[in-house]
Amino acid sequence: MQSFIAALLNSLDIALLLFVIAVGLNIIFGVLNVINFAHGALYMLGAYFAYTAMGLLGLSFWVALVVAPLLVAVVAIAIERLMLRMVYDRHITDSLLLTFALLLIIDESVRMIWGPSIQVVDPPALLTGTFSVFGVNYPVYGLFVIAVGIAMMLGLWLLFTRTRLGRIVRAAALDREMAQTLGINVPMVITGVFAFGAWIAAVGGVVAAPMRAIGPAMGEKIIIESFIVVVIGGLGSFPGTLLGALVLGFIHGFGGRFLPEINLVLPYIGMALVLLIKPQGLMGKGASA
Amino acid sequence: MPNHTRTIPPLRTLCTAVCLALGLGAATSAQAEDPVRIGAIYIMSGSPSVYGQFAQQGMQLAVDEINESGGILGRDVEFVLEDSQIKADAAIQAARKLVYSEQVHALMGLDSSGVATGVVPVVPELQRPFIITHAATPDVTGKLCNRYTYRLSVNISQNTKAAAEIAEQTGAKRWTTIGPDYAFGHQSWEFFGNYLQELDPEVELMERTAFPRFGNEDFTPFINNVMDAEPDGVLISLWGGDLVNFIRQANNLGFFDQDFEVLMTLGGATEVMSALGTDMPEGIWVGTRYWFAAHDNEVNNAFVSAYMDRYGKPPSYNAQGAYTGIQAYKAAIEKAGSTDPEAITDALSGLTFQAPNGELTFRAGDHQAVVGPTWGQTAALSEDYGVRMLDPMKTFDGDLVTPDVSETGCSL
Repeated sequence: MQSFIAALLNSLDIALLLFVIAVGLNIIFGVLNVINFAHGALYMLGAYFAYTAMGLLGLSFWVALVVAPLLVAVVAIAIERLMLRMVYDRHITDSLLLTFALLLIIDESVRMIWGPSIQVVDPPALLTGTFSVFGVNYPVYGLFVIAVGIAMMLGLWLLFTRTRLGRIVRAAALDREMAQTLGINVPMVITGVFAFGAWIAAVGGVVAAPMRAIGPAMGEKIIIESFIVVVIGGLGSFPGTLLGALVLGFIHGFGGRFLPEINLVLPYIGMALVLLIKPQGLMGKGASA
Repeated sequence: MPNHTRTIPPLRTLCTAVCLALGLGAATSAQAEDPVRIGAIYIMSGSPSVYGQFAQQGMQLAVDEINESGGILGRDVEFVLEDSQIKADAAIQAARKLVYSEQVHALMGLDSSGVATGVVPVVPELQRPFIITHAATPDVTGKLCNRYTYRLSVNISQNTKAAAEIAEQTGAKRWTTIGPDYAFGHQSWEFFGNYLQELDPEVELMERTAFPRFGNEDFTPFINNVMDAEPDGVLISLWGGDLVNFIRQANNLGFFDQDFEVLMTLGGATEVMSALGTDMPEGIWVGTRYWFAAHDNEVNNAFVSAYMDRYGKPPSYNAQGAYTGIQAYKAAIEKAGSTDPEAITDALSGLTFQAPNGELTFRAGDHQAVVGPTWGQTAALSEDYGVRMLDPMKTFDGDLVTPDVSETGCSL
């Protein structure tokens, strides 16, 4: 029973971090129709900015959590205005190539600025140690990650369903021309959405930093996982992203514990099964915007 | 070409051969003042690129030292570095490029067992000597061995033999492992288990093992799995960023406070130790192919102080491997008296030279250097070096941990 609870908590902790990364990827796809390969690199930038703030400047984790994602959002605005804007009216593969190039550029820039060494930052004192959940000692930080994921999920749901801003974004996603005719500044909305998606990725990066090693190419690992999440859940579906992240989180959490000898292929088996049964993903486009 | 040559092929062949020989002779005499070129293939991108950076620094140091003291056979030496991308096919491409377009005399490098097993079978077609300075799978000086391939670094069987001796002394009987899910992790466990059972037949190798994928981010499920199994001892063959991630998450879960022994086959890598600082637990056994403070000899003292002066950190095992690779080629080229790749290849066989970690010899039988790892228990953090020091520390004699050629599966 105890090992089941530990695996459950661990699955949630992996799943909710994945959700935070993948949801930004999915929002950007929904509004911009761009599959953003550089999303993992923006996550990595969040982690590196946090490392600079905490490790080199000695600021607190909480300051890093506010500042680093904002800086990444600024980078994202520059990317959208200067580059992405050029390829919206082209085939989707062009934006894929462009964002893949950006991933390589950001990776290499990180290596040049911070070097290839592995870096670590410590969690804030408040979140160190373990906490007993039903007799299982679980790291406090893991519980914090779960809380961040849930807060992000609720916040996004409220934003998109309960606010005028959310409705504007959804309108721009559904029909650009109509939104433009109704007086919505669509290019501005698009820039905003891209920056917001990057901000979410960077929040994920800052949150991941104290429990995972920071190194160049850390974004490449997470982007593959995020793509699997999106494939399982369905491209452009918000609940699907959550479901996909949970499926993958549980595959990792329970697979790593009870089937460690085949954990390597489990995510891909899961993905293949979903594609066989529902090629659109579990909640593919149209299920919900 | 006049027509009649077609009717006398032998004459034409002879003529071509003579012309070629003359051409070659002319070329070599013209090139006598050209630099000696060594092609290197290391991991320069992706998460393990810190290993490539260390290798580059080690090679740069060796090349500068050699050129300042008169070069090799009076010629300067230079290296050309290519990225292996930690993929076998990319590394093979890089090797071809280095030989055919960069015109290197010799090759060195390779950071991963997976890459090495792909590259080594291709080396004979390139006809260049190849010194492996890092990849540890026994196969490249075992069943895949060939005339051109050498290795100067400690391989899995040498390191796990040492690990087994330490494991046996701890008295722990039930062992399990956590290792990366590819050749390296599985072979480390297999070799360690065999050696340990030879030393102590009562040892039980547990069914419950954990092999997270290489580049795994969250090790908590695997850590819990091993803690639930309640072993007496755990062999950990994770390395690089994986090992850093693992140790921090294991600290959180109290993994190192359990009453089992922990042996980390690559825990003594300085890049891991310096990233972790005091997060590296104290009092656990860690191994490394080379430990900068383990060798009190002239070559090592000069190497460590030059490296510290230039890069501000102690040399990692990969820096030492790459540095030693260049030095090995210097010794071989001087022994051969030429930069002809075939002559260098032959000169390497049975070559003995002074490396930072003592006198190294490439065995003629399988081309593996007879060398042993250093193991030690993590102790206090050194302010000067920024890593925990090892105390007690034990450097294994290569003769005692290197299996006999007949056991390697290599036939040259």
